[in-house]
Amino acid sequence: MNLHPPPGLTHFISILLTICLLGLAPSVILAQDQLTAPPSQSDQSSLEDDYLWDDEEELIIFDPIEPFNRAMFWFNDKLYFYLLKPVARVYRIVPEPARESVSKAFSNLGTPVRFVNATLQLKLKEAGTELGRFVINSTIGILGLFDPARGMGLKKHEEDFGQTLGHYGAGPGFYLVIPVFGPSNLRDGVGRIADSLVDPITSPYYLELKQLEEIGLKTYDQVNDLSIDKDTYEGIKRDALDPYLFVRSAYMQHRAAKVEE
Amino acid sequence: MKLMMKSAWNFSRGLSLLGLLLLVMALPAQAAQGPLSQLEQSVNQILEILRNDDVQGDERREQLSDLIRQRFDFKTMAQYVLGPQWRKTSLADKDQFTKLFSDLLEASYIGKIEAYTDEEVTFAKEQIEGRKAKVGTLILTGTTEIPIDYRLVSNNDAWLVYDVIIEGVSLVRTYRDNYREIVRKKGMAELLVRMEDKLAEIRQDDTAG
Repeated sequence: MNLHPPPGLTHFISILLTICLLGLAPSVILAQDQLTAPPSQSDQSSLEDDYLWDDEEELIIFDPIEPFNRAMFWFNDKLYFYLLKPVARVYRIVPEPARESVSKAFSNLGTPVRFVNATLQLKLKEAGTELGRFVINSTIGILGLFDPARGMGLKKHEEDFGQTLGHYGAGPGFYLVIPVFGPSNLRDGVGRIADSLVDPITSPYYLELKQLEEIGLKTYDQVNDLSIDKDTYEGIKRDALDPYLFVRSAYMQHRAAKVEE
Repeated sequence: MKLMMKSAWNFSRGLSLLGLLLLVMALPAQAAQGPLSQLEQSVNQILEILRNDDVQGDERREQLSDLIRQRFDFKTMAQYVLGPQWRKTSLADKDQFTKLFSDLLEASYIGKIEAYTDEEVTFAKEQIEGRKAKVGTLILTGTTEIPIDYRLVSNNDAWLVYDVIIEGVSLVRTYRDNYREIVRKKGMAELLVRMEDKLAEIRQDDTAG
């Protein structure tokens, strides 16, 4: 849903990029379980702990703007329950296979972003796969409504600019909840802006949809996905002691794993 | 809240799929005592209960609960979740925490075992390293694939699950991050109170339907 970048935005992006790449916001401190006490205090159980998790890196999450983030989390929560979810629920009258096809078609439109970022990371095989998938699914798959490429062994690889930055060593920076868009971090937020320049729906360089069309399509994509989703967020709200902390941890872990791939 | 967050949300979708994995995992039989085959065995027993329509409601849940508790090492999980706090905690509180933590996990996920049926597992592998093992599975949904890994530890020939990793998100670590923050800010006593309240809330929600 990013709008055409106003003059000066590119400048802003490059500043952010520089900050990111310089690693001024290092939020992942890879410490070998630095919080466990020295061995002298260890009992049997902590030795077991060290053994079971010795190949894991401790992911420390940096959230200096937590009050702001919690406010945005609250806002997004209301947006979800009072607007997006009710619409998605009504929309569920459309049969599920049709909704899955819509989801695949949008995913097909996401090819340029995945292709560009796979290429930037020099994952040439992945980039080739994306290209092949696009050609097959846009033709035999009827504008991406179906995914025959998957059956041919060409599997989709999620790539975005946040991962590209991570691939070249940028840390995630601080945790950031973006209004409407949800959980993110400094690096991925920058990545999102960069990707919107490549994404056919939002790109100012080709297709050049009107702003209202962009917003409409992006919202439709999300509502469609929400209609397929099995009330994940409701589950988190129900089960977690503090849903904000739960989402924050899960998001940061997920992105770290994505960069690692 | 979910605009453009598709992939990031798969992990949490995967959390709900945790139950389904237990349901539909059709793993090839391997060496009798390996972690993969032991996990598979538990799954088959769970399947059997779910297919048996004679057992319903509380009785069914109890049977499922017994099977899950045999395969999951809740004590090890609870210990890791509490982290450095574990040593500072009194024996009574440790026991209470472990019990609340297992009950909470169970209350959160057992209902989901019964809810998911239509996805399939396409791939599984096992990797053993000393007393630890990782069993990897891949769940195929209508639109995407979700990798789910289990980490197991052997304990007198039994392989017990001590973590579940969905799309790179460790279940235990997520709880750890969550609880640690609460202990740090509010203290252990408050954490136990909030866990008790949450458990009551989930159970109420379950009986309400």
